[in-house]
Parts: sequence; structure tokens; C-alpha cells
Amino acid sequence: MSHPEQGLRVLKHSLRSRLFHWGLILGFMPAAITGFILWLKLGSDDFVNLAMKIHIVGAVIFTVSSLLYVIVAFDRVIAFVRLIWTWDDRDIGWMLTGGGYPQKMLLGKEIDVPPMDKLNSGQKIFGICVSIGGLLLIVTGWILYSFIPLAPKAFIHGADLVHMAFGVFLGLFMFVHIFLGLYNWSEFKAMFGDGTQLLSEVEHHNPLYAANKLERATHPDADEPIGVPSCKVE
Amino acid sequence: MAHYDYVEKAVNVSRREFLGMVGVAGAILWTGAYAATDLVQDRNKYIKMRAQGIYKDDVKAKVRQSHHNPGLKDMYQKFAGQPLSPLAEELFHTRYIDRTRLG
Amino acid sequence: MKGFQANEQTNIIEINRKKCKGCDSCKSFCPSAAIQGKYGAIHSINSEQCIFCGQCLINCPFGSIEDTVDAVESVIAKLRNQQLTVVATIAPSVRVAIGEEFGMKPGTLATEQLYGALKQAGFKIFDTNFAADHTIMEEGSELIAKIRHYLLGEPAEHELGALPQFTSCCPGWVRYVELYAPEILPHLSSAKSPMMMAGALAKTYGATDIWHVRPENMVVVGVMPCTSKKFEASRPEFSSAAHYWQQRGGTAHYPDVDVVLTTRDLARLFKKLNIDLNQVEPFTDADNPLAQYSGAGTIFGNTGGVMEAALRTAYFVITGQELPFLEYTPVRGLKGLKEAEVTLKDAKTGKVINLKVAVVHGIKENLKPVIEQVAAGRSPYHFIEVMNCPGGCVNGGGQPINPMGTSWTGNWKALLPWT
Repeated sequence: MSHPEQGLRVLKHSLRSRLFHWGLILGFMPAAITGFILWLKLGSDDFVNLAMKIHIVGAVIFTVSSLLYVIVAFDRVIAFVRLIWTWDDRDIGWMLTGGGYPQKMLLGKEIDVPPMDKLNSGQKIFGICVSIGGLLLIVTGWILYSFIPLAPKAFIHGADLVHMAFGVFLGLFMFVHIFLGLYNWSEFKAMFGDGTQLLSEVEHHNPLYAANKLERATHPDADEPIGVPSCKVE
Repeated sequence: MAHYDYVEKAVNVSRREFLGMVGVAGAILWTGAYAATDLVQDRNKYIKMRAQGIYKDDVKAKVRQSHHNPGLKDMYQKFAGQPLSPLAEELFHTRYIDRTRLG
Repeated sequence: MKGFQANEQTNIIEINRKKCKGCDSCKSFCPSAAIQGKYGAIHSINSEQCIFCGQCLINCPFGSIEDTVDAVESVIAKLRNQQLTVVATIAPSVRVAIGEEFGMKPGTLATEQLYGALKQAGFKIFDTNFAADHTIMEEGSELIAKIRHYLLGEPAEHELGALPQFTSCCPGWVRYVELYAPEILPHLSSAKSPMMMAGALAKTYGATDIWHVRPENMVVVGVMPCTSKKFEASRPEFSSAAHYWQQRGGTAHYPDVDVVLTTRDLARLFKKLNIDLNQVEPFTDADNPLAQYSGAGTIFGNTGGVMEAALRTAYFVITGQELPFLEYTPVRGLKGLKEAEVTLKDAKTGKVINLKVAVVHGIKENLKPVIEQVAAGRSPYHFIEVMNCPGGCVNGGGQPINPMGTSWTGNWKALLPWT
């Protein structure tokens, strides 16, 4: 892929992560949209039943891609988990200013914000919500699918409450995520393109990441192959 | 092919951390599966408990066979005569309807 | 509405559209495929196909299925009317379950507290267990007459139905046969269910010999673990007492059983009257002959109970001796189809009868092969007990809802999508 912008580039999203993202688009997104249809029972019997079928197919794709990602990209999962649970003063400062986004979007002026790692504090909260919520959605969803006449009524009712609450929450989160992705266009291009971003942009948005976690690429022209985690178990 | 100059440094997962993660995940899965099996297996427990309550009532009853129920014997003597008597047929028996023929 | 007689209750169980999640739980318990609506979409019940068993209701995880016949207020009004004698006939299963509505454990036997609460509320008591004993006498005599005629070749004194004989205590089962297997109707015992016997007896013998009141001033309230009993009580043929009095100069029309309350309904009634089963003064009603019952009458509430009770009496009547083992375990427990064989030596002729019996509970899962055999004329049994609800009446559709349980007694793999 050729880039019109000049400058050094960073591989921000590996091929495995980008493929997982496609799994979420093909699995989670239809499941979320049909989930709202099922919740509000919008449309005829046949339409709602079709929504249920799509919901289940989406759930299969979502579950399988999540499992595969944990297996083939265990290093990325570890990096993600470590990152979203690491909080310090800078995150508090970032949260207090809203990352400068309200000022930028509403007033059109840029203010200084505390430096961030690969994910800013807002994204970390998002990450915590989707990792826990996604797991709960998968677990409760399959319980609701296969355990209904077997498991106690109260247990099924509880599973449904959890599924509904996190489903609605993450479903709405998804729309926010799509909006912010489009707003940060270079992020969008990276995720749907070759995963790279200009070093200058990375240094602007993710200064701690740029300073601490990057190294020169040894094979500058090759994406890493699927299935070989780049983590070293010491 | 993608062209890039920088990549993220490899993430080092210590053996300890790896085993810890696997252990925690395994423990959660194991207790979850155990609890679920337990819940599923106990789903009819309340029926069995009620049945035991009924059998307890049987065991502690003074008479345990219908033909020894003193009040019932009294009733047949004073009122219905005997089972399947004309009065018993009139009051205690019925007939059924083929509902597929009802409009 | 098709398939109903005039004035019958046509609608008892309904799905609340606002609460239904379309999870299909109800369908997996419905014995008569009366529930419509695709997976995910809002479900509804077709009353013409429904046998009103209420299994869907007690098994809905979301509490979205409702019993639409609520007579609690009208019963309270009747209790307050001094002109009326309100008689409660309480089924066996009520006494081991109503405690759950007052915080007791499932299976807590609360007969005396229940009697006390009924007395405090102003009811007279006619224990349905008495009527269950009565049912055994009538239904058992019918079976014995059939055995004498068909197996021992004696001439019949009565008009007799066919063998095998099916029990007829379960109103859901009776309606099921009437709707879906009318060809085996001659096999149903002609005996009324205990509740209907209690109604007919209360307004005849009970009115004259026990309570000394006019039958038209009586209100018989069936307290049942069952929603289908609400339908049964509305069947027009069940006004035998009024008919009996009409032949003796009476003019009034009234049903044998005026109102049916489920166990849940009765608990609500007690709560409205501020009666707490835990605090009520126990009452045995020892002087009331219609509150006397045998152990055989009480086990009617369990699957296999009618069979066990019938065997205790049939054995005695045929052999002239008491059954040596009163607790007959082959018919107990939650197995879907239970079979047993009892050898009886006829005291009169010395002939030996091998009485083969079967017990079915959970029509949805276990009935089909049994009635197919009967319809084809190759059933190996002589007497078959059928109860619609899994476990029998103790798990009836009118019982308190146990949040940690379900009625699913079958194999747990049966519902997984890949089997």
C-alpha cells in the first residue's frame, strides 16, 4: 500500500488484530443490531425470528473470533489487559479535561492534555467494559440459548438480566466507537487498511507509547504471519 | 505489502504470569461448570421434597387404606349404600365428550 | 371457540405480551402444542388446543405467563356473607406446598396450619383426601368389576368400560383425551375426580348430614394445585347435586364446585385477610367426618399415588387380605413410565390374576407410546394412571412457583441443538 503522506510509519494494529476487528464487525455488530430488535420486538413474528437467527449466527462468529484471538494473539491480549488496568495521575488529569475533545469539538481550540500510552484513558475504560461485558455476553448468551428448560428459572432470569444490561450498554458503546473511529480518520484508515499510522500522529496521540514501546522494524516490508505470537515466554 | 518503520516491542509474558492466567481461567471455568451442573441436577429437587412431604403424611396417617377411612364408611352406610350403587353412579360418576365433534 | 361446551371456561392461561421474551421455554413444557409464536418473537396460547395444565406458567423464567381467572376477591365476599356456608375442599398437594408462600421449605407438611388458617378465614373443611379415598372406592370397584368380567369371565352387573382402565382424576389429562385421543375415551374410568366427588357429596350428604344447611346456600371452593381444575369445575355436566335435589323437589341450579382457587390463590387470600400460616393456631377438625382421610388418600398428590392407593384397596377386595407391603416403591419416583405387576389370588374362585399396571406422568414426554398401544388394542396393562404434570399434582400448574427449579425431568442433552 502506498501512502501519500511523507514520513516514518508505525505498525499500530497487527494483521491478527485487524482480522479480529473484522470478526467483531461481522459477529458483534449484527448481533448488537438484532439484539435491539429482539429486545424491543420490532416487526412481525417472522422478522423477529429472522433477527434471532442472525443474532445466533453473529454470536457464533463473535465467540469463535474471540476465542481464536485469545489463542493466536495471546501476547496482544496480555498487552491489552495490562494496559487497560494500568492507571496513574496522568489518567485522572486526562479524564478531568475529557482528553481535550470537548474543547476541540465544541470550541475548536486545542489544549494540552497529559501524555497517553497506546490507549488513552477513555479508551481504557472502553476496553474494560468491552472485555468484561463481551465475556459476560458470550457466557450468558449461550446459557440462554441452551439451558432454558434445564436451569432454574431464577438463574435463567438472572442470565437474561445480565445479557440485556450489558447488551444494551455495549450496543450503544458500539455506536460511540464507530463515531469516534470516523472522527479520528487516521485511526480508521489504520484499522481498515494496513494497520500503520504516521509516527508523527502516534507521537501526538500516544506519546508514551511512541517513547517507550516502539522499536525499529527489522523487516520493514512484511507484516507478521498469522499464528506465530511474537511474545516470548521467559 | 505494508510498509512501516516501527513496530511495538515484543510483549514478554513470564511463565509465572502465564500459569497464573491459565489457572485463574481454569478455576473460573471449573467452578462455573460445577455450579451449573449442580443447578441443573437439582432442578427437580423441590418436586421430590414435596413428594416426601406427601409420603410423610401417609406414614403418619392412622389408617392407610381407603377402605378403612371411618368417615367414608359412615358416608356409604348412611347415604350412598355402596360403590357403584345407582346413587353413587348418579353422583360420583360422569361421562366424557369427544371434543373433536364439538363445533 | 371450538371444542368447548356451553358456559365452559375457555381461557385460563395467558401470556403477557409485555413480558414475553420468546425464549420457547413454555413450548418445551406444553403437552398439547398449544403455544404459538416463533423463537424470539412474542408467544401466545391457543385456548382451543390448551388443556390448561399451567406447566408453561410455573416454568416461565420471566414470569410472563399468567392465570387469568382470579376469584380471590369474590371468595372473600362470600366468606363475609353470613347467609352462605363456604366449604373449602383442599387437595393433597396443597398441604405440602402452600408453606412455600409463607417462607417454609418445599415439602413442609402444614395440614394443621392450613386447617387453622381456613377456619380463621371462615371456611368449613371438606378434605379432598376424603374424596380421594372415595374415588378409590368408586374407581377401584369399577376396575375390580372389569377384572371380574373380562379376566375371570363373570357376568357384568354394570355397564362397563374397556380395559386397560385409565385414571380420570387429572382434568388436564381428561381434556387431552377428549381433544386429541377420543378413540380411547371408553378406557377412562367413569369415576369423577376427587374434587368433583367432593362437590357433589358436599351439597348432598354434607348439606343434610354434616352442616345442616340448604345446598343452594353453600359455596364449595376447590383449593387445588391445578389451573385445569378451574376448567373442570365449569363443565356443565358437573351439577349432579342440583340435579339430585331437583328430583326431590328442589328448583335451584348450581354447580357442584362453585369456585376453584389454586394454591397460589389461597395464599394470596390468606395474605389479604392478614392470616400468616406460621402464626395461625393449628386445627385438626377431628370431629368432622369429611376431614378424615387415609394415607392412601393423601398420596394422590404424587405420581404413582393413585395407583398405589388403588392397589392397597384392590388387593384387599380381591384377595380378602391386606397388601403385605403398603409402600409400593415400583410406582414411586420421577421415572417417566413406571410399570409393575402384582399377583392377586381371588378369594372367591381361587384363580390367580397377574395385574399389570403402568404409571405415566408428564404427558408431553411420556404418554404417546402408551396411548398408541391402547388405541391399537395391544396394551399389556390393566390399569394405567396418567397425570399431566411431571411429578404429579405436587408439581401442578397452580402450585407455588419454585424459582430454583423446573419441571424438566428428562435427559438434559435432549434440548441441546446439536442432538
